[in-house]
Formats: sequence, structure tokens, C-alpha cells
Amino acid sequence: MRAVVRLAAWVYAIAVYGFIFLPVVVLVLFSLQATSFPIPPFTGPSLRWYQAVLTDARLTSALVNSLLVAVLSSLASVTLGFLSAWGFARFVLPGSAILRGLITLPLTVSYLIIGMGLLVLFNWAGVPKSLLAAGIGHVVINLPLCFAIIYSQMGDHQINIERAARDLGAPEWKVLLMITVPVMAPAIFASFFLSMTFSWDEFVISFLLTRFETTLPVEIWNLLRSGLNPKTNAVGSLVFAVSIVLVVFFELTLLRRKPA
Amino acid sequence: MASTDSNLRALPWALVTPALAWTLLFFALPFIAMGFSSLTAHEGGGFTLANYSQFFTDPSYWRAMVNSLEVTGTVTVISILLAYPFAWILAEMVPERWQRLALMLAVLPFWTSYVVRSYSWLLVLAQNGVINRSLTGIGLIGEPLQLANTRFATVTGFVHFFVMLLTLTIFANLKQLSPSYRKAAADLGAGPIRTFLHVVLPLTLPGIMVGAFLTFVLCIGDYITPQILGGNNELVMPQLVMMQIGRRGDFPLASALSIILMAVVTIAYLACARWLKIERA
Amino acid sequence: MTVNARAPLSALKSHLSAACAAATLLLAANAAQAADLNALIWCDHSDPALLEPFEKANNVKVNVKEFEGTGAGLAIVDQSQPGDWDVMVIDSIDVPRGVEKGLFEPLPEDKLPLADLFPEVKMDKSTVVDGKRYGITEKFGYNTIGFNKTKVDPADMQSLASLTSDKYKGKVAIYDYYLPVIGMAALAIGKKTADLTEADLPALKAELLKMKANAKLVGEVTASQTALATGEVDILVGGGEWVTAGLAKENPALDFSIPKEGAVLWSQSLAMFKDSKNKDMALKFIQYIMSPEGQARLATSSCYWGMPSNTKATLTDEQKKILRFDEQPGFLARAQAYPAPNADLDKKMQDMWTEMLQAQ
Repeated sequence: MRAVVRLAAWVYAIAVYGFIFLPVVVLVLFSLQATSFPIPPFTGPSLRWYQAVLTDARLTSALVNSLLVAVLSSLASVTLGFLSAWGFARFVLPGSAILRGLITLPLTVSYLIIGMGLLVLFNWAGVPKSLLAAGIGHVVINLPLCFAIIYSQMGDHQINIERAARDLGAPEWKVLLMITVPVMAPAIFASFFLSMTFSWDEFVISFLLTRFETTLPVEIWNLLRSGLNPKTNAVGSLVFAVSIVLVVFFELTLLRRKPA
Repeated sequence: MASTDSNLRALPWALVTPALAWTLLFFALPFIAMGFSSLTAHEGGGFTLANYSQFFTDPSYWRAMVNSLEVTGTVTVISILLAYPFAWILAEMVPERWQRLALMLAVLPFWTSYVVRSYSWLLVLAQNGVINRSLTGIGLIGEPLQLANTRFATVTGFVHFFVMLLTLTIFANLKQLSPSYRKAAADLGAGPIRTFLHVVLPLTLPGIMVGAFLTFVLCIGDYITPQILGGNNELVMPQLVMMQIGRRGDFPLASALSIILMAVVTIAYLACARWLKIERA
Repeated sequence: MTVNARAPLSALKSHLSAACAAATLLLAANAAQAADLNALIWCDHSDPALLEPFEKANNVKVNVKEFEGTGAGLAIVDQSQPGDWDVMVIDSIDVPRGVEKGLFEPLPEDKLPLADLFPEVKMDKSTVVDGKRYGITEKFGYNTIGFNKTKVDPADMQSLASLTSDKYKGKVAIYDYYLPVIGMAALAIGKKTADLTEADLPALKAELLKMKANAKLVGEVTASQTALATGEVDILVGGGEWVTAGLAKENPALDFSIPKEGAVLWSQSLAMFKDSKNKDMALKFIQYIMSPEGQARLATSSCYWGMPSNTKATLTDEQKKILRFDEQPGFLARAQAYPAPNADLDKKMQDMWTEMLQAQ
């Protein structure tokens, strides 16, 4: 009986993995399409679309833009989130619960609405559309996440270490930088990583708030407006390949840092 | 313990003000701007409730909200049903040292671009796509199935993403459970099924609810998946909002629709509030 | 888990310096737009094969933003500041809308090859307002019936009635642009597109709903092209050479017809913005697009093909055959322009379109 259940479980797990990977496999497969349409039949492996992507100035600059916006907005989100989480966790502030609720409130609002709100505001205030505007929007969506993650990880055991450091005469900023940040490093890293992920692939806010210089998802959307072509498959596959490399890299470095 | 040294009284405010200021300026203020905009007339600019009344009186607008709720509800339920067993298997049956890898493997496909992935689903579900070709190839069906450009396609595209999301939240919850609960139940004579139903399932409810809530918010506000996979055969709220901005520059109507959508999500949030623990204990 | 106190800190420092460098790059990138030409266009103008010769010859960068449908284009202008745009591609019939909003600059007729254009597409009634020319037609085509001739009976495609007949149920896609499709509905019920009023809306709605009932999807340029090309559907309402011609090499089964009731003529014009900071370059761009070589490249550009408005366009014989260049006078005689509703009727038409989309 146990064996049957185990077998069923493995079959189910494989089925779910299959479901998850299905569009990606199709995506990568048809990025190697020789003819113009990424649909069956598969017409033999060809690298022409990868070549097309790497020589497409708009796509490559959009890729760089995406990275810039992701890194900068994530850094801002993590910094703001960390500072405010520490402030709320370490000190008693009036109205703390309400203020904390306010900071986490954007988590409950759809990106479309956040983007729309910023569009209406910027339009009225005469602020032009740009990557900066999109970046601002990305901080709005990622700040509550960073705050929530870091705040939830601030535990009592740190209070003791920090108190010890203070008792030994360390000024607040030193306590913060040399004790709190390293101890919170996993949470900081996790929220940075998560923010990067959300910002990197974010479409609606970037779409509403950028003009010419735009991010990769918007550029892909524009590309697709001119007809389905395997170039977008190639871009998707390249991004996928890069992420695999990154994950392997992190796995190896993180594994090395773990004690035996 | 609070620090009462006067030098330090300013410090906590200095720490939290940047985040608060950002939220007020770029989150709260836009809402106020949208609120004002929703009460203005598109042509002319005077005060009007016409934008809101259009939603409540025009059946095709009202229909969009119904579609949104139906699709989101379906997606949430299916995703939970598919994700729970998967999360269970990853947390309980996969050896510890392979768990992170297994999880990463499940998340990895979502590192391809969302837009491109949605188009890939369109191609997979197409008349001449992978699924139809395989099914006709092995003789299961005679005629290709109408899969793409339907609600089925939209739901599939959504479920694809949210199964992963719910797996993560449920997995995290399962990992946090102390094994002593289960041991205690076993000691008291409960079999595996009873242990699951009466001990594990209730304890993983927070994980399910967090994931379900995230699914609800993200799904109901998503524009890409319905736009690409739905074939414009029925519209959901985000498509309606984007239509107003894109085709007519009608900010007031778009703002009104956004606020209505927000209101629906807020109601859902309040309903979930007793499950979500945002307060520090 | 042991914590390495130094590593996160130095990582943070290097992150900060990278961030500063990146921020300056970002600001610099945003600032470099001043000397470029900013064009608001339909997707057929973003083909590098079209833009690069102009960019190289004039040492300028052409920044493009694509849109579909005049409403969308004007919405983008609404959301921009004056001076943001230099040139716009706008449906000829909608040029007066831009003039009304005070957007466009009169064009110098002596500098443009007006005499070489197909007379029926000059559309002076719309492109000339108060005696001044604001737009010049650059490309045209038809919103009619696009179809796969190996899957449908071409004889049926000679009448609009086949679009609502049961024979092709579920094999039809509708192009998601309300103006031409409403125009086709008007032709199907025997009305002229130029004469449509609010009183015609119920009859038009009935026709649209019949079309929707037969349709598998309603899609914009990409979705429609893909659906027809991949065999998802066999007929595209609102399709025409703009869908089939570009795909003709890979898929010669795709064709279009001008049915006996007539077809709707689409024609796009180039207009210059009054607030443009680069009017000389804008005019040069317009002249380039209207030149025989520019016209040939525009006619065969990657997003969708279409007929060049300049009869002297340097197309190859094969390209002319695909576009049915020589049959144009006959087609033009049976074609009618897009409906040009006033703001109120336009909103009602858009609402009718939304109703159609939501219909089960």
C-alpha cells in the first residue's frame, strides 16, 4: 500500500514538473526554428534568431534598462525596507501598527492600479514618462515586500547582541552596520533577490510609465505587436539560460559557505 | 526596550520616515489623484458621477467584473488543489538536501519572460499546437480541440504561475511545522489520514491563505494573460481599464474602474484579515 | 548557520558604488533625446530596413512609439508634453481630429510629390483643412476579407454575407479595430460608411453580434495575423493585403478579396506636430517616406504590407503582383473610407464594440 502511494506521489510530482516546464520547453525548442513562425512543425535547429536578438539594438538596450531599473529599484526598496523595519522593531513608535500597515498596504493593490495611479499623478504634475518613473513604481511594489520580510525576521535574539554592543559603548550607527546588517543578511538578501525578480519581469507599470527607453518585457510586447516571431522565443530562452547560470552560481557559492 | 536618550528619540523617526514618505507620495497620493480624476468628466472636466454609474448600469462593464471574479475564483481553487500535494511531496518525501534544488527547479521556468511565456502557452494550446497534435497523433481525439482563445486558456495560463506560488507558501508553512505535533498525534493513536486532516491541514491553513490571497490579488489585476490567451472573447476588468487608457485616453473612466477593482480586493482582504497575521505577536 | 560579518558589508559597499554609476548612466540615457526625431507610428514604420537609410543619411536617431488606432495615438499625445513628438502617422480620415486639437503644422505642398499619388487616396477632404494641408497619404490598403484559399471556397469570399453564414462558424477571426469593422458591417447591411448616424447603431450592432457569434477570436494585428497564418482560423474579418502580403512567401495559401458589397479603405497619412522642436528634420523624414525608394520600403515593411500612395514607388514586379498593384484602380472604385464619427457617436461606437466583445 505504502509503495503504491509513493509511486502515485512520484508520478504526480513528475506530472506537475511537466506542466510547469511545458511552455518553456516549447519556447526553447521553437527559438531554434528555421522558418518564421514559432509553431509546429519544427523546421530544424537554426541559430538565426539568437543572432537576430544579439544584433537587435532595441532588445539589447531594453535588456540593459531592465537590469538597471531592477538593481536600482531593488536597492532602494531593500534600504528603505530595512531601515524602517529596524526602526519599528527596535523602538516603540506611536501609531506603529497603523504606520506598519500603511507601508505594507501596497501588497494588496494590483500593479495595474499602482501604475495607473502614478500615471494619473505624473500626468497631472507634468512629470514625463521615463525609466525613472517606472523605477519609482517598482520601489512602490517592492518596498512593502522587503519591509515585511525583514521585519518578520527581526527576532529577540538580536536584541541581546545589539544591547551587548551598545553596553560596550558602540554608537547606534555601528550597531546597525556591524551587528544588525550581518545578522539580517539572509533576510536582506532574500528581499533583494525577490525584488529583483519582480522588477525584472514587471510589465504593466513599465508599460504605462515609459516612453522610448523601455524595459525588456515592454520591448518584447512591442516586438510581438509586429507579428509572432521566434526572436522573442530566443530572448526568452536567453533570459532563461542566464538565470540558470545565476542559480547554479549561487548554489555553488552558498553551498561552499555552509559548514560541513 | 525603548531608548529614552533624547539624542536617540529622533533616530527611530529618521529610520522610518523615508519609507513612509515614499509610500505616501507615490502610493497614497496617486490614489487621491485617481479619486479626483474618477469624479471628473472626460470631455469638459466638471464634477460627475457618470464614470461610476457607467459601470453599474452598463451590462458589458458589469460583466467584466463578473468574469474577473469567476476566473480568479476558479484559478485560486484549482491552484490550491494542485499545489498542496506537490508542496507536500517536496516537503515530506524529497530528501532534505535535495529540497532546495527541487524547489528551485520548480521556480526556474518562471525566469523566462512573462510575456513570452504567455505566448508560448498560446502556441501550445493552438489548433496546430503541441497538445492538439499529440492528442490527435495518439488517436485520443479526431478533431483538434478548441483550447486557445478561450477562458480555459486564460485559466491554464494563470494556474501555471499560481501553482508555483502556492507551492512556495505551502512548502514554507509545512517546513515550519514542528514534528512534535505529528508525534503527539501519533502517540495519541491517530492514523496518518486523521493526523493530516486534524493536525497538519489546519496548521498549514496560514500558508494556504497567504498564497490564496496573493493569488487573488495578482490574478484579478493581471492584464497580460487574459489579453494574450483569452482572444478577446470576454473581457476582464484589467482589460477594460487598459482599453480606456489605450484607446480613448479616458483617464476618469479608467480611474473609476480601478477604484472599483480596488474596492473588491479590499473586501477580499478584510475577509482574509483574520487569517493573515500582519501584527507582530 | 554561521555568519560572515565582513562579506555582506563589503558586498553592500560594492553594490552602492555600482548603484551610483548606474544612476548616472540612467540619467544620462534619459537626457540624450533632444536631437532625435520622435515619431508616433503604426508598427510598419519601426522596420530598421525603413529607418536605417534615413538615419544614416541624416545622422539622426529616429525614436518610435507604436500604437494601433487613432484613439490610442491621440491618447498617447494627451499623456505627453508639448514638444515630445515630431511626426505622427495617423489615418487620413482622422487628420481633422488632430487639427481640431491644435496638434499639427501645415505642410509645404511644393516640397511634396503630390502629383505622383493615386488620386483616390489623396483624400483632400480630410487631409486639407481650411485650405491648408496637414497630412499627406503615405500608404493605403483594405480592411476586407482575408482568407486561406485552400480552406475556404473563394467564391464565397466575394460576398460579405459569408462572414455571418453558418458554413464558417468558428473559423473566423475579427480584427480588433472598431472603425473599419463597423464600416464593413455597414457595407453588409447596405449603408454607406460616410452616412452613418446614431440611428444606424441598432442595425450595426445586430450585424456585429452575428459576426461575433461566428468568430473564434477578436485580435489586434499580431493575434489576427498569427491566427490566420497558423490555421487557427481560416477567415479574417478586416483582413486584407496588410495581413496576407507579408506572409505570401511563406504561406501562399493566404489571399484577400474585395467583395461585391465593397471594402473599407484604410489610408495612413504623415503629419507634423506644431510643437515639434525639430521641424526641418521632420519634413525631411516625410519627404523620405514619400520618395520612391522610401515608399517601396514602407510598402513592404515587416509589420504589415500595403499599397504605397506614390505611383512611382520602386517596387519589384513580384512585390507589385503580391500587392495587386495593377488592379488597384478597380479596387479603389469599390472601396469606401472609414466611418468618421463625431466625438459623441465615436464613444457610442466604442461602447457598442465593448458590448460585442463581451457578448457570449
